[in-house]
Amino acid sequence: MKRLVFSLLMLMNISFSSMASEPVTTVSDTALQSAIVETETPKKSTYREETYQAMSFNEMMVNFYHTTGISALIEPKKGVLTSHGEPMSDFHQTWGRLIMFLVTFVLFYLAIAKGFEPLLLLPIAFGGLLANVPIANMAGPDGFLGIIYEMGIANGLFPLLIFMGVGAMTDFGPLLANPRLALLGGAAQFGIFGTLVGAYALSEFTTIFDFTLQQSAAISIIGGADGPTSIFIASTLAPELLGAIAVASYSYMALVPIIQPPIMRALTTTEERKIRMRTLRHVTKLEKLLFPILVLMLIVFILPDAAPLVGAFALGNFFKETGVVDRLSDTMQHALINIVTIFLGLAVGSKLAADQFLVVDTLAILGLGLLAFSVGTAAGVLMAKLMNVFSDDKINPLIGSAGVSAVPMAARVSQKEGMKDDPTNMLLMHAMGPNVAGVIGSAVAAGVMIALFK
Amino acid sequence: MFLESIKIMFLGMGTVYLFLTIMIYMTKLMSKLILRYFPEAPKDFHASIPKVPAQPTNENAKIAAILGALQHHHQIEKEGK
Repeated sequence: MKRLVFSLLMLMNISFSSMASEPVTTVSDTALQSAIVETETPKKSTYREETYQAMSFNEMMVNFYHTTGISALIEPKKGVLTSHGEPMSDFHQTWGRLIMFLVTFVLFYLAIAKGFEPLLLLPIAFGGLLANVPIANMAGPDGFLGIIYEMGIANGLFPLLIFMGVGAMTDFGPLLANPRLALLGGAAQFGIFGTLVGAYALSEFTTIFDFTLQQSAAISIIGGADGPTSIFIASTLAPELLGAIAVASYSYMALVPIIQPPIMRALTTTEERKIRMRTLRHVTKLEKLLFPILVLMLIVFILPDAAPLVGAFALGNFFKETGVVDRLSDTMQHALINIVTIFLGLAVGSKLAADQFLVVDTLAILGLGLLAFSVGTAAGVLMAKLMNVFSDDKINPLIGSAGVSAVPMAARVSQKEGMKDDPTNMLLMHAMGPNVAGVIGSAVAAGVMIALFK
Repeated sequence: MFLESIKIMFLGMGTVYLFLTIMIYMTKLMSKLILRYFPEAPKDFHASIPKVPAQPTNENAKIAAILGALQHHHQIEKEGK
């Protein structure tokens, strides 16, 4: 392939230079003239020589060939740097990029044809595609993806803006009507801490991979099923793993309807799945208005390290519930979160560069993320069963799985699974309680990680 | 160092549960206080009354218009025959 392209170029050069051979004989005259011009305005000509050197057409073609993607993808060069400024291996310069092109195409397919979180997966995949373009170096510090990354991910800004929007979209009503369901949202966080132990044990006692405690912590946050939180933690504790963590986190959020049901069914009996829950009481406006402030104040006193996440969330929710700044809350819910989503997706995608994604660690992260997610789901369901032992007011264990904070997908899964056994059993609103509590729970878990490792 | 991760697990889950438990009790307290001292005013039926007759008259006007059109239509048909 390489030889073929090259010989083709040579052939073109020969034909071109034979055409150009005649005018060359008259050069002596014009050279004299230009020499006179040069002596008259010497500054101008030296400037010209520095910026552009005359070359034969042959050289020109060869030089141009070396700037094409074909050349960059066929023959790896020395001295090509990754976006971290380290030398890039031959594999990552050649096959790696091509493989990543295919990976992004698969992500396009999943987002467009299968509808897996298209709002995030598409920007991420396109960012990944651009990041793997050779020579242009868009993911580098001067490329536009690199600039977006520095602007909002490296400093943790974008996840917080997303949290603001999510807060403005959240209704705490179901949680306020039945606050004890928040315990289910706490149980699901066991996915995070259980996986932390697992990841670290595997790095300690086996040679499969080697994660530090910080990296294990960043990976295990995937179990919270909360994309922004994962990115927030990864950018603080393990920026080198950010791409894989973000992709794993968002893919599992999209895969909630596939991953959760088998676990939920395996851990419950038909009788339990048929449990009907008491209708939720009406929640007053004042309760909804004061709740975000209450949560924020608790964070202030107990865990200020979680304050950025919870603070942004409470801000969005408070603005919405006041009802006097509809324009602002409307912006947070739509315009702002959409803009930030585009930037966030592209910046995360820039971490899909071959040199960072095609490493053994990525597979480990995808595997551990799945484990974290499954453990979280199981812990939520088991917690619901445990609560039923101690209380007469029975909980349908299917809503326990909604404790992972993928809002509102996890709650919808609970509803759907419940309807399989009893088509008139409406679990959605009951499941929203643990679901939003899960968001708070994983923000608290993230706060613990930051407090320990910062 | 492996023990370290187990310690973190207990600390983490402990904090999450401590936080959520406090949150649950504070929320219950808050709701109780609000429902007792600041109950939401029951829906003001008087306020909604003026709107009620507006709609029926509107409906009546529509029905009248339809009836009128029907009659007109019948007449035209009769005359045509």
